[in-house]
Amino acid sequence: MPRRSVLSPDEETEINLSPMIDCIFILLIFFIVTTVFVEEQGLQVSKPDAAAVSSAEKKESVVLEITQQNKVLLDDKEIGLADVATQVKARVSDPETPVMIRAHEKSAHGVFVGVWDAAKRGGAVQLSFSTVN
Amino acid sequence: MVSTEPEAETEINLSPMIDCIFILLIFFIVTTVFVEEPGVDIFKPDATVDFDLEKNSIIIAVTADNKVVYGGKELGVSGVGARVRALLNKDELPVIIQADSRADHGVFSDVWSEVKNAGAKKISLSTRND
Repeated sequence: MPRRSVLSPDEETEINLSPMIDCIFILLIFFIVTTVFVEEQGLQVSKPDAAAVSSAEKKESVVLEITQQNKVLLDDKEIGLADVATQVKARVSDPETPVMIRAHEKSAHGVFVGVWDAAKRGGAVQLSFSTVN
Repeated sequence: MVSTEPEAETEINLSPMIDCIFILLIFFIVTTVFVEEPGVDIFKPDATVDFDLEKNSIIIAVTADNKVVYGGKELGVSGVGARVRALLNKDELPVIIQADSRADHGVFSDVWSEVKNAGAKKISLSTRND
């Protein structure tokens, strides 16, 4: 006898665990197979709300424009995507200065994300986008 | 095993294995989220100031040829609002828009507005993992 029993030394009660193990294995395999580790990275973007629009009128705001040909304009002058961050940094004196990105509806989404990213790096806090056609 | 003694019994003690399997099982049950993935190829734009988004989200994709896809089915811009509203009624979830780099900005903007009007609290756009 492998185990000692208090009641009677000859009798042994044991639960057969094999079917339970089978069940648990099946459950385990199901969860292993269905698990997908979605690793999403991203940005949170916003359109201007009414308060931002009114403050944009009061204060000097920075407007970045993206044309249909995916060119980035600041004050109607073309600037490269690489210069956006430095230009925004130079113009955003205090964090409350609104920065707007006005993108043409036919411009590429990748350019818009690039400009948004660069403006964020340049220290823009009040960042918003709108679409023109 | 052939044994000459009838009393000698070999048995493997399964309890520690069951403990391990239970721990694994609980881990997988807890971490599993059933997210409807769009199942289309998206070339995501690159960004440096991005952060990790929530795992349990509604994912809407905009492909390079400006198709709007949710859960493997094409919705169209006008179908996004109703679908997102129905999903948000069940559970308050953040929304992720996976737009292709080459997609039109106008389509992304329209999808964003539809999702916003459907009452989503948190809308993010997806960027490439680095």
